[in-house]
Amino acid sequence: MSVDVSFTPTLGAENAAPQSRRRSWGGQAAAIALRGGSFVAFAAILLYFSLAAPFFFTLGNIGNVLGQSAILGVLAIGLTVVIIAGGSNVVTGGIDLSVAANMGFSAAVYASVIQLGYGDGPAVLASLSTGALIGAVNAFAVVVVGVVPLLATLAVMNVVAGLELVLTQNTVVPATTDFLSFLSAAGPFGLPVLAYGLLAFTAVATAVVQFTPTGLRLYATGEFPDAARAAGLPVRRLIAGSFLASGVCAGLAGILSVSYLSGSTTGAGDMLLPVVVTALLGTVFSRRLVPTITGTLLSALLVGFLVNGFQLMNISSTLVNGVQGLLIILVVSATTLLRRQEA
Amino acid sequence: MSQPSPQGATALALNIRGAVKHFGGARALSGASLAVRRGTVHGLVGQNGAGKSTLIKLLAGLHTLDEGVIEIEGQAQDTLTPHLAEELGIHFIHQDRLLVPTFTVGEALFLGREPRIAGTPFLDRRAMQRQAAAILDRYFGIRLPNSALIADLSTAEKQIVQITRALLHSPKILVFDEPTAALVRREADILFSLIRRLKEEGITIIYISHYLGEIEALCDTVTILRNGIDVATLAVRDTSAAAIASLMIERDIEEMFPKRTVAIGDPVLSVSRLSSPGKYHDISFTVRRGEVLGVTGLLGSGAKELLRTLFGLEPALSGEILAGGKAVRFKRPSDAVRDHLALVPEDRRGNGVALDLSVTENTTLAGLKRFTRLGFLDPARERAEVDGLIERLQVKTSGRDALLRALSGGNQQKVAIAKWLSRQSEIYLLDEPTVGVDVGSKVEIYKLIGELAERGAGVLVLSSDLAELVGITDRILVLFRGRVVKEFVSSDTSPDAVLAEATGSLEGRRHVG
Repeated sequence: MSVDVSFTPTLGAENAAPQSRRRSWGGQAAAIALRGGSFVAFAAILLYFSLAAPFFFTLGNIGNVLGQSAILGVLAIGLTVVIIAGGSNVVTGGIDLSVAANMGFSAAVYASVIQLGYGDGPAVLASLSTGALIGAVNAFAVVVVGVVPLLATLAVMNVVAGLELVLTQNTVVPATTDFLSFLSAAGPFGLPVLAYGLLAFTAVATAVVQFTPTGLRLYATGEFPDAARAAGLPVRRLIAGSFLASGVCAGLAGILSVSYLSGSTTGAGDMLLPVVVTALLGTVFSRRLVPTITGTLLSALLVGFLVNGFQLMNISSTLVNGVQGLLIILVVSATTLLRRQEA
Repeated sequence: MSQPSPQGATALALNIRGAVKHFGGARALSGASLAVRRGTVHGLVGQNGAGKSTLIKLLAGLHTLDEGVIEIEGQAQDTLTPHLAEELGIHFIHQDRLLVPTFTVGEALFLGREPRIAGTPFLDRRAMQRQAAAILDRYFGIRLPNSALIADLSTAEKQIVQITRALLHSPKILVFDEPTAALVRREADILFSLIRRLKEEGITIIYISHYLGEIEALCDTVTILRNGIDVATLAVRDTSAAAIASLMIERDIEEMFPKRTVAIGDPVLSVSRLSSPGKYHDISFTVRRGEVLGVTGLLGSGAKELLRTLFGLEPALSGEILAGGKAVRFKRPSDAVRDHLALVPEDRRGNGVALDLSVTENTTLAGLKRFTRLGFLDPARERAEVDGLIERLQVKTSGRDALLRALSGGNQQKVAIAKWLSRQSEIYLLDEPTVGVDVGSKVEIYKLIGELAERGAGVLVLSSDLAELVGITDRILVLFRGRVVKEFVSSDTSPDAVLAEATGSLEGRRHVG
């Protein structure tokens, strides 16, 4: 069958011109301002601290910030995957509130396995399996039972926090092994191994989420499930997979935290808010205002640099909480307004 | 098309015979057949509830048959699944454009069958862009920027992307389900030329539409469904839109607008010199008992805002409203309801009815007080009233406990009106009462409007369907840029004359001449 039949002239070039672009000029401008503004703000913060605190812009300090952000970054990246696959609606979309508790419990499992006299191999395996298992419970509750992620993971968070108390009797479980010391030590160029770890993990996660078909399908599932279904995608499996991934990330973060703190300590739940802030803030670092892995890394570093800068300038770090709160309100309201305009 | 079929066995791309499908107690299809010849454009028409969508969902593998046979390319398909349907080359262009708003055109096109960079698990974005550009250029002669997101495209462009998605699968049968519903005229023309071109390439097209003019312009053959049965399959060139319409509705199209003579009584709603800056200016009119007043105007004419003011949804700056003989100033809708006004809004699903409540609850919602005894609902009284209304308005439902969601658009609209009947309102404001409603239900809604007038209510109908306005009203006010530019007596005018005033085309002529 011949296909290069010349087509009717009604389909001339004038039809290619945008006829009724849905986003208004104001909306476009606001979106550009939000994206541009966030990069400018990032740069401004770096510049300000470099001028105000001479030590700030040194390789050693930047490595420190990277290393200190590793646990937060890994957790936030896991949460980002869930938000991508579940949609970025804060109430009904994808969210995993159990990540911080999961990390705490996985860390406790790691430290306990070491205490029982097993080596690092079994401990790593136990920690990652614990994380994955908790992720699987979340996936079951959300995908099979149909509970809203916000509630399902809230419940799982409480159960997991309780399990951690049972396991550790609410005490510190010390753990020191060669592997853990290696993780918390300095690597090439005197930068912490954790810093390299964060960058390597981000690279892998970015490759999977931003550059494979699976990643694209996760986005489709979260943004427009009907379209994903119409394209024949296994929507439920993708969502379940996102919770599993976030569980494994929490397990990994658990290992990092055992290394960082030389054992398992209580209070992992305090990480939850910073993790959620980081994952949500990440959307402003993407062209399409969607959650991305690199955006989440940038936002983890932004938070890290803020804390670090405040410390170098001897400003009370309690102020950081306030700044984080402001950022979250700013970002969520800005993206909400933009989305409403598009709807 | 005189193409010999590959097997020489059949010239039919699709042959559905004796399809029967029940949903619970309701019978959606009772022995419907549909035979579509290969390489033709086959229209499928029928009122809402005639079984069109059930038939299409069977074909998509979303429902299974209770009885009957589906043959695709001569092969009987007993267990059709969505996946199998796609493998057999059947694709659907849905009314809703199922595209992810934050995707680029390339990503949206290839979602689910993404090209990879050879030897890696990674997406080949460049290949996606290149192929997308090539295929869009080949079929549509258009170029969309590589970085353009779906959210930035116009409705027509989105539809083009959706069709292109199907073309990537080299479809054998393409099903268009109400594809022009959201398109403007020029965009629809583009779609039609495309469908003709797809036909030239040998693709079989099934085209579902409410617009009979489109069927006439586009289709070779048309099958008319009524009450779950195919009542006729006709060659389009041997028939007319009027003939098709009459087959759809079992009644002559002439009777669409039931004429009735009603004695016109006292004024029930008077508006004088009503103004709202930037919206409408100096509007005066009177609606009498037993009268149906039509109001029309384009977007921006102020007609919509006028209606909102009358129901207390937005304020007027100056002017007077008399309802039932007394001067009123409605601050909120409940004030208007107290003075016996009723509004049936255009966005039926959003504001007119509660989809998850039953027929009973929807009907009695506006006047619960009448159904209470000592502060409690009296179910017996509710039942009696609701059953009476269902009967009178001929609401097609499985019963008063059915959820509104399960009713067709026309029947939902009847319930929206019934709600106010049970409240015994005297002034009815109807905003586009028949939008999205099939022909048969339209007639019943027209009858209902006539009945309201007969009972002595004053009715104000805001509509952009001018044939409807001329058919059912006594007088018509035309608003243009916030002012009443013309008042017609409906029996002395035509839709064309009203349209000329509403679009301001006479205005221009006057200035020129």
